[in-house]
Amino acid sequence: MNRVVVTGVGVMSPVGSGREVFWGNLLAGRSGIAGITLFDASTFPVRIGGEVKDMDLARIVDEFPGAAGIRERKILFALGAARDAVEDSGIREGELKDAVLEVGVGQEVLHLEDVTPFAHDADPGGSSMRGLLADPTRRALQAPPDSATVILGGRYGLLGGRYTNCSACAAGAQVVGEAFHMLRDGEVEVALVGAADSPINPLGLGGFIVLRVLSEENDRPARACRPFDATRIGTVLGEGGAFLVLETMERARARGARAYAEVVGYGSSLDAFRVSEPDPNGRGAAESMRRAIEDAGLGATEVDCVNTHGTGTPKNDAVETAAIKEVLGKRAYEIPVHSVKSMTGHMIAACGAVEIIAGCLTLARGAVPPTINLERRDPRCDLDYVTEGARRFEGETVLSNSFGFGGQNATVVLRRFS
Amino acid sequence: MGSGSVVVTGIGLVTPLGRAVGEVLDRIERGERVACRPTFDLTPFSCPVCAPIEGFDAEEYFPELKTLRLMSRAAQLAVVAARLAIADAGIEVDRTYGGGEIAVFGASGLAAPPMEEIVDIFRETAAPDGTFDVQRFGRVGLKRIRPVLSFQVLGNMPVCFVSICEELRGENAAYTPWEGQGAQAIVSGIRAIRSGRAPCALVGGCDVKTHVVAFFCLQQLGLFESWVRNGRGPIPGEGASFLVLEDEERALRRGARVYARIPAWVLSTADAYSSRGDSFAGMFSRLAASAVEGFVGAGDGDASILDAENEGRSRAGIAPQTVLHPKESVGNLYAGAAALQVALGAELARRGGRGWRAIASCADRHSEQGAFVLEGI
Repeated sequence: MNRVVVTGVGVMSPVGSGREVFWGNLLAGRSGIAGITLFDASTFPVRIGGEVKDMDLARIVDEFPGAAGIRERKILFALGAARDAVEDSGIREGELKDAVLEVGVGQEVLHLEDVTPFAHDADPGGSSMRGLLADPTRRALQAPPDSATVILGGRYGLLGGRYTNCSACAAGAQVVGEAFHMLRDGEVEVALVGAADSPINPLGLGGFIVLRVLSEENDRPARACRPFDATRIGTVLGEGGAFLVLETMERARARGARAYAEVVGYGSSLDAFRVSEPDPNGRGAAESMRRAIEDAGLGATEVDCVNTHGTGTPKNDAVETAAIKEVLGKRAYEIPVHSVKSMTGHMIAACGAVEIIAGCLTLARGAVPPTINLERRDPRCDLDYVTEGARRFEGETVLSNSFGFGGQNATVVLRRFS
Repeated sequence: MGSGSVVVTGIGLVTPLGRAVGEVLDRIERGERVACRPTFDLTPFSCPVCAPIEGFDAEEYFPELKTLRLMSRAAQLAVVAARLAIADAGIEVDRTYGGGEIAVFGASGLAAPPMEEIVDIFRETAAPDGTFDVQRFGRVGLKRIRPVLSFQVLGNMPVCFVSICEELRGENAAYTPWEGQGAQAIVSGIRAIRSGRAPCALVGGCDVKTHVVAFFCLQQLGLFESWVRNGRGPIPGEGASFLVLEDEERALRRGARVYARIPAWVLSTADAYSSRGDSFAGMFSRLAASAVEGFVGAGDGDASILDAENEGRSRAGIAPQTVLHPKESVGNLYAGAAALQVALGAELARRGGRGWRAIASCADRHSEQGAFVLEGI
């Protein structure tokens, strides 16, 4: 069995793009949530989100010829973050030929601007819709969900297998976990993995609004996402992308690479409860953590930090807290537990990969980012959520949770690499 | 840790040619075809036909289930195919295996929003000149969106609904959107079993490409070009296919009926369409299985794939007695096709008996490729 290390990271997020900006703002407790600027949301009940403000769109399109004409921000986030991760790893492009590529993606939606002008025919396939096909610049649906996979695979000449994962909010963690198993089991020696999403568009935001999972506190955006707080009323959508380069330790050592952390365990589970809400007993969440810890060959007392899914929705945070306590027992009260989403918002498919990078940096830099906006603790949420600001961390392991809409759960265990 | 050998013990199909793998195989071997004209206006499209499933009613299988109303048609097809596969394997969840022991890996296709409903919303919220008016959409349109819409378009929902309907809680992932990702779902199940993480996996996929949004997407992606060039091409179909995979030792110990062993498989990243046989040849050669009696081809009426696959097979020295091209009969099920290809290969191997081997090839125009060896035991 191979040991697997993280040798490159790239991130584009609402709190900043690039490893150092991202990490610095997380440690400083800066919120990336603000009023939506990507479209006119003035008539929407929710008008706030975590937008990526510093993406160099032109550079990404220049660097990826396959991206010409791509309008979907999530695809560009994936390309930019993957590029940064490859550069950060120091691997030369030709050395990635045998790498496996796993990409988690958000849901493609209809292009409202393109479809609406042709939607005045009673028959949606009817004559007026022909205009949509006649104009090659217009699309019914956004680009296919495997677009980033195809473009990245072509750009870096990746031939080790290309996977496109659509496991909703669990996608970002699943791609890391699945690639980790492939490397550990000796199928491949290197992997480029990550996820991206951008649900901040009229139909994406609208879909979450009608599900009633979003905070409507438009007048105080930076305070709107309050994981584990007694007054939390919902999450806030975010967008972005995050990629990691995973390598077997032998391969990384052979080329003298620096490692941020070691991936040591992965577990996933299904709630088998309801698509609209988590199992109130947290059975699926607990099973995911238990499997990951067992996969890592650790005991509950060896978990030193939990990077939670922590969405700020009334149901998730209480269920997750209960599941952590069930799995870790007394240990749950002894370790830091935090939520990156309190600052980034919920980046949906991308969140797991972003938070795993935060976990890697927690281990590499010896600091746990704070959970911001937690002022009045929910009595059911009684763990140590790191509310005082970033905290020094000398532990050896971080457990990172991602729980997907529909009941898919994934947990990755990271260990300090020495 | 199990034996490390993986076998197919259950098959569940919902296809335009039927639901029992034996029946579907017989009808394909007889050359039956199910293509018909779609009911929507075809004038914008180059493809004139599709392969729908007639008379499908998920309530036959889930008469009490309110959740059915939350599901898209693709998810309904998936839950029925999954139930059929589990029943076919003779598995009782939480008796044969715990729900947490059964892994679920599934593929789903491009989003399929209910266009009839959505177009009404667009019409009502458009600006007077017909263009999209985001302010009207926020004011009027949002009130018209049903909350269940999300459950009907999200790509992971078929896997989630399967898990809910069958109470499966194991390792899992959802992939999208083409046949190659269906092959990846199968490989993920094989991996989970071989590594000892799960003794059993439900793997497969579902897709519905018989509606107008799918035709728009396929046309815009250039997937109907061969209809223009050659007067024939892919027949967009609909359906779901699921397989129950088990560790061989565990399956035999419980007395399961085994369709076939999967001794070898391969995934390839090359684009089947542009590789002119190189990727197929490389893939089939890597299977180290030139002596095979059966072959289930991935060709779907698009001559480019068919020619590339034939050339690849020839270069790899594969000369089977039995060659099937199911998509010409049953239509292309895209994300649901890979498990159907493997199911047909497994049924061929079961009929062939001990040592009889078939290759099931998986590829389509916009897809990764995969191939599986199915061996009778």
